Amino acid sequence: MIAELLALVPVQRAGFGLLLGAIALPPVGVLIVGLDIYPVRFAIMHVALLGSAIGLLTGTDPLLWALALCALAGGGLAPFATTSAGLSGAMGLLMSLAIAVALLVLSISGVNANGAFELLWGSILSTRPVDLVVLAVLAVAIPALFWWRRRDLSLLLHDRELAACSGVRTGPLTMVLLVVIAVSIAGAVKLTGALLVDALTLLPALAARRIGRGLTGMVVASIGIGLVVAVAGLLLALALDQPPGPVLVLLAGVIALLAQLPPMRRT
Amino acid sequence: MNDLWHVTALSLLLEGVHCRYGRHPAVHSVDLDVPAGTRVALIGTNGSGKSTLLRAVLGFQPVSGGVIEVGGRRAGTSAQWRRRRGEVAWIPQLRSTGRFPLLLGELLDSSGDGAAARGAAARLGLARLESRGVHTLSGGQAQRAWLARAVGAVAAGAGMLLADEPTAALDFAGQEEAAAVLTELPVTLVVATHDRAVADACDRVVEMAAGSLREVA
Repeated sequence: MIAELLALVPVQRAGFGLLLGAIALPPVGVLIVGLDIYPVRFAIMHVALLGSAIGLLTGTDPLLWALALCALAGGGLAPFATTSAGLSGAMGLLMSLAIAVALLVLSISGVNANGAFELLWGSILSTRPVDLVVLAVLAVAIPALFWWRRRDLSLLLHDRELAACSGVRTGPLTMVLLVVIAVSIAGAVKLTGALLVDALTLLPALAARRIGRGLTGMVVASIGIGLVVAVAGLLLALALDQPPGPVLVLLAGVIALLAQLPPMRRT
Repeated sequence: MNDLWHVTALSLLLEGVHCRYGRHPAVHSVDLDVPAGTRVALIGTNGSGKSTLLRAVLGFQPVSGGVIEVGGRRAGTSAQWRRRRGEVAWIPQLRSTGRFPLLLGELLDSSGDGAAARGAAARLGLARLESRGVHTLSGGQAQRAWLARAVGAVAAGAGMLLADEPTAALDFAGQEEAAAVLTELPVTLVVATHDRAVADACDRVVEMAAGSLREVA
């Protein structure tokens, strides 16, 4: 039965999208863990909803609007990133404002709100070629960014002041990271749906945090875990004839929990 | 060790420096003139403003008034602050390790002269720990690691070292070793400390009290 399902184009696209997502998104989770900005996912999802609403209002692609607005939102958060508390407050404000404006746009435009919310309930089985293009760009750009700036990222994620003392341009780099996080979450939302976005971002990163040593080790481990989750999760979902999203999250969650079992190394 | 380095010690000038946390003044009208190459111990009770003053020199603490010059230069723009942080080595007060794993080797290499920092690390008893995460080190080891990093930063050209209680977590032997390393460096040194051995090794001792500064010795 699985072989028959894998022959279907939507399933093939889903599998390809998951593989691309498994390369692009776990490093983003590493950034979220490193910057300690877990609520950013929710803030960005609300901004994505606003983008979707504007797309419906203007008759253009909601995903592209979501990506553009999320990129702007990520850049806008950067000035607040000098402290973790400042960023948390800014994300809370962003979340509230974005959902309020989104609902207002939907009300004024008279479009069906369900259309906008479809972005948040995205399904990997409805993956379109444009979604794959977005994910492919992210799958190339994000690992490349990590490799290119691995020294600066290691220092910034460890301690902003250490990074500043080491010649890292912390402000611009933080802005780039927040834009990458925001755009990636917008792309991931379409792939897995808002509630399941953690399957390919946060959960592999949380597991990798206990497995990998240093930033490079963590990123490699997170991608490896992401690939395992993507392949095994999709096959398991097809075998069980269940929706892929929840299966992916549960599998990623189990791996993240298992990774917590080994004791921490200490001198 | 010093003969191998081509370091130019830098002067430090503070004039009427004020810092505050909200409405609470932390540093009040501080004046301090430290000629190049001088070693100054900054003593005072907890909360007296020592750390705030040192962090202000590096731009990590906003200054609400006054002038700070290192090597006769003020810092205002991002480029000027980057230059300042390249000229001034920094040992922060021991705190909980960073929120993200960093290898000891990466910390040492961040100094700008990884070889010098690794040499200092070996001298300070951290040999063969470079592949360990900083978060797995004890407090004393972490403090030695930052001291070794400071040696690397000086070797890379920093002409001043600001150290915030760099021996607080060390045992007696470690304190002596750290004091020796600190005072051997051919730079201007301003060290906030409660360690008498470190203070005795300095040329001057100034005391912070309730945000103000006075000369002690």
